[in-house]
Amino acid sequence: MTTAGGLEGGYRRLLRWYPRSYRVRHEEEILGVLMAAAQPGQRRPSARESLDLLWSALKIRLQMTLRGADSQHWAAALALVGVLLPLLMLLLKLTEFLDRGAQYGFGSPADVLVGAYGEPGAYAGSFQANPYPVALTGNVTDALTAGPLPALILAVLACLGWRRAAAACAAFVPLAYLGISLANGYTLLAGPRGDVTLYAYGLEALVLLAAPDAPRGWRALRWRPGALLAAATVAAGVGMNGGFWPLFHAAPTDPATALRRAANLGRLAGLPHGFIERLFGIGAGGWRDWLLYQGTLVAVIVVALVTVLVSSPVDRRALALLAVPFALGAVIYLCSLISPPLPAPAGNTLTAVPLLLILLAALALSLGRRPRAGPDVPGRPAAPGDT
Amino acid sequence: MSERPLQEPTFLLLTALAEGPQHGYGIMTDVERISGGRVKLRAGTLYAALDRVAAEGLVEADREEVVDGRLRRYYRLTPLGGDRLAAEVERLRQNAAVAAKRLRLRHRAVGGLP
Repeated sequence: MTTAGGLEGGYRRLLRWYPRSYRVRHEEEILGVLMAAAQPGQRRPSARESLDLLWSALKIRLQMTLRGADSQHWAAALALVGVLLPLLMLLLKLTEFLDRGAQYGFGSPADVLVGAYGEPGAYAGSFQANPYPVALTGNVTDALTAGPLPALILAVLACLGWRRAAAACAAFVPLAYLGISLANGYTLLAGPRGDVTLYAYGLEALVLLAAPDAPRGWRALRWRPGALLAAATVAAGVGMNGGFWPLFHAAPTDPATALRRAANLGRLAGLPHGFIERLFGIGAGGWRDWLLYQGTLVAVIVVALVTVLVSSPVDRRALALLAVPFALGAVIYLCSLISPPLPAPAGNTLTAVPLLLILLAALALSLGRRPRAGPDVPGRPAAPGDT
Repeated sequence: MSERPLQEPTFLLLTALAEGPQHGYGIMTDVERISGGRVKLRAGTLYAALDRVAAEGLVEADREEVVDGRLRRYYRLTPLGGDRLAAEVERLRQNAAVAAKRLRLRHRAVGGLP
């Protein structure tokens, strides 16, 4: 009994990798087959059985997704990310603005527009130090990626539920950046504050166009554990005002101190700065930034795992989507550390191709989307057990 | 015939159900018997294949019963599944006939060499 119980428990643990809806229909049935096929005296699932079940669970998930059986979860996740992502980007811009601006001065409105927080006079100075066209294109690309205006416009459009306008805005930013940068011979690989932001804008365009039937605007926000945890994590990072920096380079900050710091905005000037760069790991600090990036990545992974454990299928899908820009940014960042550095054309291709693929997918969705014929998708044959 | 050829495990699965409804473990053992022990479907592979062919309308659930406290669900071939299997059998038969004919010619040619 103990042997059979242990074996059955082992099979049940493996079957948890299958989608919940599939398990409801088939878990007991598959378990019966597994137990019938087990060797006499077998105590635990064999390696081949485990691999077979894990691989099949992956295939079933893929089949269900492609078939649309999972589409409601994905539609809700896409709608959630469509609003959450621009809000997150806006929050990060705001944090950077307060953090660096409070320490070094906010500068003129034009400095704010190009995201030169903490560098008063940077906008005007660029025109003095460079030929006019160079300064102009540099300021425009900075305004697109580092400046707060695109994130602000996008967040407003997304929250209002103006899906197509928001998607157009989200697609315009990386396209304009790519066009200007490539026309002027800029190096894109690990560009200034750029890659993750560009991927995030591209993803936002794709996400907005991928779920036209989902609830729009702020109504799509689901204040369930996943979203709450993501918001709490960002808030904690902002509150400590050092990102995850204290993990490696400063004495640990206890929660009470972090809360006192968060409440006392006037003391921002005395605290570490560069939250954005530290969060994205795109600063110029070499190994220090590398360590920091790892710390950030580990923290993001921990948050992801915790969220997966406590949240709903929709939140898990939303989290996976939100991880896409970070994952792409991590790959690009790692490539930027290669020594000797990659040639500029190779680096530019490496950076631009994922972005163009995301934008092409968004374009294909916007062109290929047809109006739905009715409330249900007809013709889906019955799955096993649909009797 | 515009349909893609069936993969061997799918072909064997449909063949196992051609004689009558069977439950999962029955299909597994039948497939092994039909293939002379060469193809052994594991439970995960079997149910992934069943899910796919059911989604294509080739197979459907027939009935359920509980044996020794375990649920058994029987599956049967649908008319569409029967047609698909018959078309595949015909395709394999034609291919085999062509191959056999050419082998006979080859043997004659080789046998006729000095």
